[in-house]
Amino acid sequence: MSRDERYDVVIIGGGPNGMTTAAYLSKCGLSVCVLEERVECGGACETVEPIPGVRIYPHAMLMYASPAPGFEQLELHKYGFRMVWNPEDMMRSLTAGNTTTQGVTRITEKDAMGFAKLGGLLGQPPFTRELMRATFWCPPHPPEVEVTDENTPYMQVYKKYQPDVCTPELRDWTMFELMDEFCESEPFKVTMAFAAWASGAAGHWEGVAIPALLSVQLLILPNTGKLSIPRGGLHGYFHAIHRCAVAHGAVVRTACPVEEIIVQDGRAMGVRLRETAAIGGRKIWANKAVIAAVDYKQTFLKMIGREHLDPSFIQKVKDISLKNGTLYVSTYHTRKPIQWNKKFKAMQESETGVAGPAKVASGGVYPSDSRELYYENVADCDARKSLPTLPPEKLMWFLTPSQAFNPTDCQGRYREGYISAAFEVNVPVPEYQIEGIDAQDKEKAKLDAYMRKAFSQALDGLEDENIIHLWSATGREVEFRNTGLIGGTWCGSRHCRDQSWTRRPMPELARYRTPIEGLYTCHQTTGHPGGLCLMAIPYNLMHILIEDSIAEPGKWWYPSPYYIPQKEKVSAIPR
Amino acid sequence: MTTDDIFGHMFQEFPENSEWDVVIIGAGPNGLMAAAYLAKAGLKVALVERRYEIGGGLATEEILYPCYSSNPHVIYHMMVDYMPVIKDFNLDGPSLLWIKPNAQTAMVFEDGKSLLLTQMIEDTKDSISKFSFKDAVNFGKVMRSWRRIVDEIVAPATYVPTMTPIEMSMALQKTKVGQEMLELIEQSPLDIINNTFENDRVRALMLYASCMWGLDPRETGIGFFVPLLLDRGMNKCYCYGGSHKFASAMGREIIKAGGLILEHAEVSKIIMQNRRAVGVELAEGRTLRSKVVMSTLDPHTTFLDLVGAQHMDKDFKALIDGWKYDKWSFYTLHVASEEPPRYKCDDPWINDAFMTIFGIESTEQLLAHWDNVVAGKIGANFGGHATCETLHDPHLSDKPSKHISFFQMHAPYEIQGGWEKKAKEMEEAVLAKWQKAAPNMKRENIIMTVHETPVDIETRFPNMRRGGIKHGDYKPIQLGSFRPNQECSSTKTPIEGLYVCGASTYPGGLVLGGPGYLGANKVAEDLGVKKWWKTTPEMDRYIKTYLT
Ligand SMILES: Cc1cc2nc3c(=O)[nH]c(=O)nc-3n(C[C@H](O)[C@H](O)[C@H](O)COP(=O)(O)OP(=O)(O)OC[C@H]3O[C@@H](n4cnc5c(N)ncnc54)[C@H](O)[C@@H]3O)c2cc1C
Ligand SMILES: Cc1cc2nc3c(=O)[nH]c(=O)nc-3n(C[C@H](O)[C@H](O)[C@H](O)COP(=O)(O)OP(=O)(O)OC[C@H]3O[C@@H](n4cnc5c(N)ncnc54)[C@H](O)[C@@H]3O)c2cc1C
Repeated sequence: MSRDERYDVVIIGGGPNGMTTAAYLSKCGLSVCVLEERVECGGACETVEPIPGVRIYPHAMLMYASPAPGFEQLELHKYGFRMVWNPEDMMRSLTAGNTTTQGVTRITEKDAMGFAKLGGLLGQPPFTRELMRATFWCPPHPPEVEVTDENTPYMQVYKKYQPDVCTPELRDWTMFELMDEFCESEPFKVTMAFAAWASGAAGHWEGVAIPALLSVQLLILPNTGKLSIPRGGLHGYFHAIHRCAVAHGAVVRTACPVEEIIVQDGRAMGVRLRETAAIGGRKIWANKAVIAAVDYKQTFLKMIGREHLDPSFIQKVKDISLKNGTLYVSTYHTRKPIQWNKKFKAMQESETGVAGPAKVASGGVYPSDSRELYYENVADCDARKSLPTLPPEKLMWFLTPSQAFNPTDCQGRYREGYISAAFEVNVPVPEYQIEGIDAQDKEKAKLDAYMRKAFSQALDGLEDENIIHLWSATGREVEFRNTGLIGGTWCGSRHCRDQSWTRRPMPELARYRTPIEGLYTCHQTTGHPGGLCLMAIPYNLMHILIEDSIAEPGKWWYPSPYYIPQKEKVSAIPR
Repeated sequence: MTTDDIFGHMFQEFPENSEWDVVIIGAGPNGLMAAAYLAKAGLKVALVERRYEIGGGLATEEILYPCYSSNPHVIYHMMVDYMPVIKDFNLDGPSLLWIKPNAQTAMVFEDGKSLLLTQMIEDTKDSISKFSFKDAVNFGKVMRSWRRIVDEIVAPATYVPTMTPIEMSMALQKTKVGQEMLELIEQSPLDIINNTFENDRVRALMLYASCMWGLDPRETGIGFFVPLLLDRGMNKCYCYGGSHKFASAMGREIIKAGGLILEHAEVSKIIMQNRRAVGVELAEGRTLRSKVVMSTLDPHTTFLDLVGAQHMDKDFKALIDGWKYDKWSFYTLHVASEEPPRYKCDDPWINDAFMTIFGIESTEQLLAHWDNVVAGKIGANFGGHATCETLHDPHLSDKPSKHISFFQMHAPYEIQGGWEKKAKEMEEAVLAKWQKAAPNMKRENIIMTVHETPVDIETRFPNMRRGGIKHGDYKPIQLGSFRPNQECSSTKTPIEGLYVCGASTYPGGLVLGGPGYLGANKVAEDLGVKKWWKTTPEMDRYIKTYLT
């Protein structure tokens, strides 16, 4: 008797993208198996409790997914999906202002109005949702279709609701150019640009102005204007997706790393597990499709034999650029709370601290003085690719928004000391790091000290005596923890124009198909829209799997209104 | 106009109020089992869990952050051979893999000598022969009879409703094995060990192995635990991929059967109506109404905090008030290291052992250490057991070729000086002792450490009060039909609609698969649903021999 197993679809990787795809496909009635390398599914969407009562989110912590069709199509509410609503709304947090070396600067009315207009706040209610969905929840157009202003989904939405935004240059602009047009104060623009850089689509990249801006807006606007998160953090939301998949019959196997994608005559037939896998080095066969919900490097450079791919394709895979830094995340455990210093009194006063006894500093980009400063930071990380050369006063950092309204927050129940919000700093992707791939690891103590100095420019409480513990992870540690997070980055490959939409991460892969028949990709590094736990790649992929007659969803399915079917394929639009 | 009006809610959430057949409080091994059986029986089941992850004691978490996962609670699975849940849900095969090393429990001594308890009797006898030929022979003999006691009586009885002590002794009179067991019950663990073995080191190992889960070595009336814990201690399994995998596997069975699991759902109240339990209220405000509420929490939480004393009569409340927590808890030091510990001793096989005890040189020292712990102290004479998890499971380390181990010892909940101060001191003391036993466990080899004190255990699980790993002490008046008390040991409580089936209910703590299974049986009977599962052959034999 063969020990091997057989399913309709085999999914490699149990991160948010793999699991959401499992939920969609099992809901279509297909037999699905998810194979996950780690002891727990979730990928970069997880929670850990390193000391009792204190939870930290090593990666994803903020909810960007609200407009996703997946909530409705997968009925996540049936599987326990709940939110924790932030009692404070965006308007209030916006008024706190931006943090510069000179102190807090006000956000002007023009800033706020420009931001609101671009996010669809000035139109009728469905505007925001349609805009977001058009930008992120629509598969790239097929290769035979030339992308124009007329058929670019977000352009169509602006045309409908806010036509004055549409200009011939809009699709070519950088986010800075866009904001120069619609907003006013420099610190506001720099803050947004930096937030975008840390969201994988930087303020200075050509031709991604709208997706970059909207990736920041996704955070706030669709969550009914509140920076709210799922109960249990993003891993709680992941649980609902996971359970939806299992409820529809998906088989999920943890501690089962995939070693090889078995290809015969140019077709993916199944996978082979590593010998250490929890069910041994078996083969798992796929009747219809193998879906690689892991990074493109493993998929094409490790799991598939070289003989199955041509050298020009392999060259392109090797050339996919990760150059947008990786996020070095630090979380502090302190005796007294970390708070904004005197210069930033206004910030400190706007802290809520609903759940905790004291107001711990949160939510800010520092220093946001000028785009020159921003460029210096970009150059340090993406151009010099060295350990930081800027003096700590110039290092730009992002302090994540407060989650103190949330009883599941790290600070929620802890009996002693205070847990900071997470600090994020862009550092080079380890494999580009000129001092060597392990330079950050070797210099971790120095890096931590350097960053602490940088944070201390605006915050009190980072002195030695006040710190009980620091949790931080270098890019390489992140990559070790989760092999899919190549370079430790949160989107894997740069969301620049050359690697986005119909070119993400390269034209041959843009519609989630691959040169291997029956093999599809579904990972943040390999497909539009890229990083974030959006349920977007799986939704977009569904269109393609319907086109290829693999998935036949029921009445619950609806495609993107901006989707264009590929010639000679089954259309994903229900008849 | 509020922002809500501008955007509208974009998605639906789990409802504020919902209706169920059964709501189960706590997703530890017992809650998971109860939910899995009942959901598959067709009942509408909701399992609600306070933490962010299901599993209770079945946890595998990255407490050595970043990159190293450990099993902070359950690691030794002792009842895999008997638990009905394994067969009923097919949890031995592709969905779960159990590893049962032959080298089970080692004890190493300062002079480099060692003892090894193995799954296979003759290997243990060989090891004991280094110290006493007579003990080796005796070991073979008693294990022959003790294994029968376990196999025929104690193990199957774990999954059969309890009897009163009188019924029990009448039943046991029926067979020779039963009579042997009755004789044991009357003795203390220390007496049993001392009467069986002559060599002090052999005695020390046997005493440690039989009492490590919280037996008082000098207490009479609990002697039957000695065969059980010794035999099961020689048959410990490791759950490949981490203990949490066991929880996930059961969780998936619940979901597949249409059940619901809610995490981050702390029950703040059991809703009472007309003297009946009719559902639960969560701290976040949601309510889940149900025909039956099953609690896997300790008696104080269930009855005093969640139901409320006003719903109980005086006598019953007195029983609850009288509940006593475990006499000791655990202090554990988790370590990530470059190399696995290599013990300095006469038997290289020790390095493969699942559990290695060190720091204990004699029974006298062991007893003195335990006396200290009970008195709230830890002296220089402490000892404990260690396991290198990555020897059995490479998945726990994200970094290739690094290792994860822990050292665990008995420790008081309230310690002189307080845990906050003591924990760090203990870390130094443990590492010094570990290095003595395994010279490569020096600071240069160690990448990271993290400790878990009894107070930490309680912080993670408030139902493990005072760090009580079994939700309550093992002593004659808290065992068998007295666990948690005579009114509740069948899992049904005097409160209509409320059942208890956690570690504080018969048969007790550890991952036995007992309370949750018995709770599910009782609820299925009371709600009149058909049981889709059958008793195991061992249970059938036991029932036929002793209960009919
Ligand atoms: C620091 C940081 C902060 C972030 N913050 C946010 C945020 O606030 N909000 C948000 O929405 N997103 C955030 N993200 C991004 C988000 O976490 C990722 O985009 C998302 O997790 C990507 O999902 P995925 O399924 O594509 O890949 P992954 O999450 O990488 O999942 C891939 C899975 O595949 C498994 N795997 C890898 N190799 C194998 C193999 N050989 N065999 C089997 N399994 C394998 C991995 O273990 C993993 O579980 C953040 C990311 C980072 C790094
Ligand atoms: C350090 C340590 C090591 C151990 N090692 C082993 C071992 O190796 N082998 C072994 O067999 N046993 C071991 N144990 C014991 C074992 O963990 C327990 O006996 C077992 O987990 C009890 O199972 P349970 O389902 O009854 O309760 P638990 O596992 O305690 O589960 C109860 C659940 O209820 C939840 N809960 C608490 N309050 C609420 C509330 N108000 N609302 C909702 N949910 C709530 C908790 O979060 C928890 O998940 C160990 C325990 C500890 C602490």
